[in-house]
Amino acid sequence: MKGFEFVSAKDARHAVALMAEYGPKAKILAGGTDLLVDLKSVPEAPPAVIDITRAADMKEIKVTDRGLVIGALATHGEIMSSPEIRDRYPALVDAAHSIGAIQTRSLGTLGGNLVTAVPSLDSGPALVALEARVTIAGAGGSREMPLIEFFVGPRRTALKAGELLVDVVIPKKNLGKPAGFQKFGLRKGQALALVNSAASFWLDPAKKVFVDPCIALGAVAPTVIRAPKAEAYLAGKKVTPEAMAEAGRIAAGEAKPISDFRASADYRRDLIAVLTKRSLEGALAVAERNQKESRK
Amino acid sequence: MTDVVLRVNGRERKASVPPETTLLQLLREHLGLTGSKLGCDVGDCGACTVIVDGKAVNSCLMLAGQVDGREVLTIEGLATRDRLHPIQRAFEERASLQCGFCGPGSIMSAKALLDENLDPTPQEIRDALAGNLCRCTGYTKMIEAIQDAARELRTEKSARTAP
Ligand SMILES: Cc1cc2nc3c(=O)[nH]c(=O)nc-3n(C[C@H](O)[C@H](O)[C@H](O)COP(=O)(O)OP(=O)(O)OC[C@H]3O[C@@H](n4cnc5c(N)ncnc54)[C@H](O)[C@@H]3O)c2cc1C
Ligand code: FES
Ligand code: FES
Repeated sequence: MKGFEFVSAKDARHAVALMAEYGPKAKILAGGTDLLVDLKSVPEAPPAVIDITRAADMKEIKVTDRGLVIGALATHGEIMSSPEIRDRYPALVDAAHSIGAIQTRSLGTLGGNLVTAVPSLDSGPALVALEARVTIAGAGGSREMPLIEFFVGPRRTALKAGELLVDVVIPKKNLGKPAGFQKFGLRKGQALALVNSAASFWLDPAKKVFVDPCIALGAVAPTVIRAPKAEAYLAGKKVTPEAMAEAGRIAAGEAKPISDFRASADYRRDLIAVLTKRSLEGALAVAERNQKESRK
Repeated sequence: MTDVVLRVNGRERKASVPPETTLLQLLREHLGLTGSKLGCDVGDCGACTVIVDGKAVNSCLMLAGQVDGREVLTIEGLATRDRLHPIQRAFEERASLQCGFCGPGSIMSAKALLDENLDPTPQEIRDALAGNLCRCTGYTKMIEAIQDAARELRTEKSARTAP
């Protein structure tokens, strides 16, 4: 690596101040599992690397009146073991577990994953299916937006120079909404997704129909996408294996996957159909578990 | 230069290094601890695995400045002068390694696992080793060794806690 200045931020405010001080070329360092890999190959080093791993205020995972707030600095390992997440959202645990290996999960953070914004990012789909929002802080104050709009293109986000991703919020209306996540890579460990998908819906306890179904797909378009036609097909429909399979087929027609050395577009479309169906089945299993528990 | 003070294998160590120094370089080139290996340098192979504040990490993906004030355990911290650590002994007895290059990393991943869970399932052991690539062995004997070591550590623990 080429030389740079190393500075450490005490908290989110301090990080924003340091970004203003060192200018737009300075780099935020969270888990470093993307940044250090990049810095080892770039011809020119940034003037400064701003380490935020000591910003404890950005690490918290808690339920507030905004919903479930996950600090951008929470690592994938911390997400997997958080009681706030484990009980409510097995899909988020599965997504975190699917990333890299233990060593990468104890370093890599949710914020770093979202900011790197590769099309196959594994923490994207489940959060998009739960309509998560992100909080961004800059010198001029903070702003909020839906996560799906935060992704602008491959490796491009809505962050402007000098802005910090502070947290990710699953809105109150979706607290405990059943969700499922699926990833298909060429191996179980250390493999990027050929396709990943997530689905969430409320199960109407009396009529057994899909309420508010939400489907998100990754690695099949420049950014994480929703599958609005499949969602519209499911809304109000009885929950059956056939309906879930049909939603998968519709979703496959909504994506624009590419062919590359990992898989062909046709293969990816088949994967979308299967993984969407399985994500819906995963959400159903959570919904049934929740209903059983609330009857107890 | 970045000044760091950290605990490595229970001892306080100080160093003044260029800011772009990785934790792996700090250990190998500045503190003389060459047990952790440099394989890929990009997080894929796990040869550089060490334990920082209880968690297994890729030391090639951390900067020295990030471990200031933290507790680092490397392969050199496991054995005492007269006794191998039970995981090391089990790896030896099962002939779990061939060339040995991946060994320090695999053993540190096993250590991090057994520190948290003394009775792991084979699947949990596989998950703990997924970030340690071995080009020689095929992993089976490592998994058996980790099961042996877990058994021995459980016995040691119950002997310690027995009235
Ligand atoms: C071996 C290996 C396997 C991997 N496997 C997977 C995988 O299976 N799935 C997957 O999705 N990813 C994978 N990754 C990629 C990576 O681990 C994740 O994207 C990780 O979550 C990145 O987080 P980080 O904290 O390490 O980010 P960093 O490397 O610290 O940062 C990444 C980028 O985001 C910026 N940044 C970080 N945090 C913030 C913030 N709060 N505000 C503003 N900017 C910020 C940094 O400046 C940098 O540009 C893998 C990486 C490795 C090395
Ligand atoms: S050298 Fe660090 S993971 Fe390969
Ligand atoms: S024993 Fe040779 S790489 Fe594992």
